[in-house]
Amino acid sequence: MRIVVATLAIAAAFAMPALAADQVEKAPPTGAYKKVSDLVKLPDFLPGLGQLYVDPKTLPAGPFLAYNRDGRLVSTVYMLPVEDLTNKDKRFDDLAAPGGKVNHVDVYFNAGHPGVEKPHAHVVLWHVPRADETRVAAK
Amino acid sequence: MVSRRYILRIGGGLLAGLLLPRLPLAAEAVEIRMQGNADGSHVWFDPVGLRVETGQTIRWINLDPGNSHTATAYHPKNFERPLRIPGGAEPWDSDYLLPNETFSITLAVEGVYDFYCVPHEHAGMVGRIIVGQPGRFPAADLSVQATGGEPIPEIALRAFPSVDEIMRQGVVRPA
Ligand SMILES: [Cu+2]
Repeated sequence: MRIVVATLAIAAAFAMPALAADQVEKAPPTGAYKKVSDLVKLPDFLPGLGQLYVDPKTLPAGPFLAYNRDGRLVSTVYMLPVEDLTNKDKRFDDLAAPGGKVNHVDVYFNAGHPGVEKPHAHVVLWHVPRADETRVAAK
Repeated sequence: MVSRRYILRIGGGLLAGLLLPRLPLAAEAVEIRMQGNADGSHVWFDPVGLRVETGQTIRWINLDPGNSHTATAYHPKNFERPLRIPGGAEPWDSDYLLPNETFSITLAVEGVYDFYCVPHEHAGMVGRIIVGQPGRFPAADLSVQATGGEPIPEIALRAFPSVDEIMRQGVVRPA
């Protein structure tokens, strides 16, 4: 009996950090994340990315959490200004990665948009297989 | 003989219609489209250069489903940017236009008007409108940096069509 209780206590102890962490699987994520289209004037659903959430304190790098039309997390996106990437004194360290398992990664140039107004790179950690990327494609 | 002359006249009229830039009537708004490609790596105004008559209404429309754009005149009243519209002309700033939103202005003062997109100036998203007839404005080299405010990035300066090209073609499409 004592062993069972002890086991439960240990299990509870390990479960605690998970409970305390933000829920990000389904939109809207908990914690400091805000819907990007509420922060800046951008379409609510961005073709190729989905619906984005970000903690404004982490701009411009993010992470941005991207959800498909069913509200499921499909990717975690970092937006890294080109001028920072070519600045030897600038680093991006310890960026949060709350989205879990990564299936594959895309990196590509973006000309800018409200929120990240200068040309930057999108680093996209896809949490879904390639085939599911179409779920956030243009209609 | 009469008929041949008649044909020549008709032919000349057709040729003139094909070769000369068609200046839109002031009554209808001229459209400048804000566009971007699918992954947002490239954005532009189309046309990028335009020649119109005094009193012409210009309407910008955002046809980019994945981004917001602005049409903002280079003017000290807009974020203290350099003056690149005629003295005495009213500056404009559309603010962010979501997909399919539009913004219109009417240009009453002759001269060269340079404008940009706030989030995409550093991607070279700028445009130039010339109002009026050739020779009525000083032949200043507008491709050089104007004084005042945050300088215009090199990529944007290179993107303006020349005054000559706009006067020649009437409408300059992006490359
Ligand atoms: Cu733009």
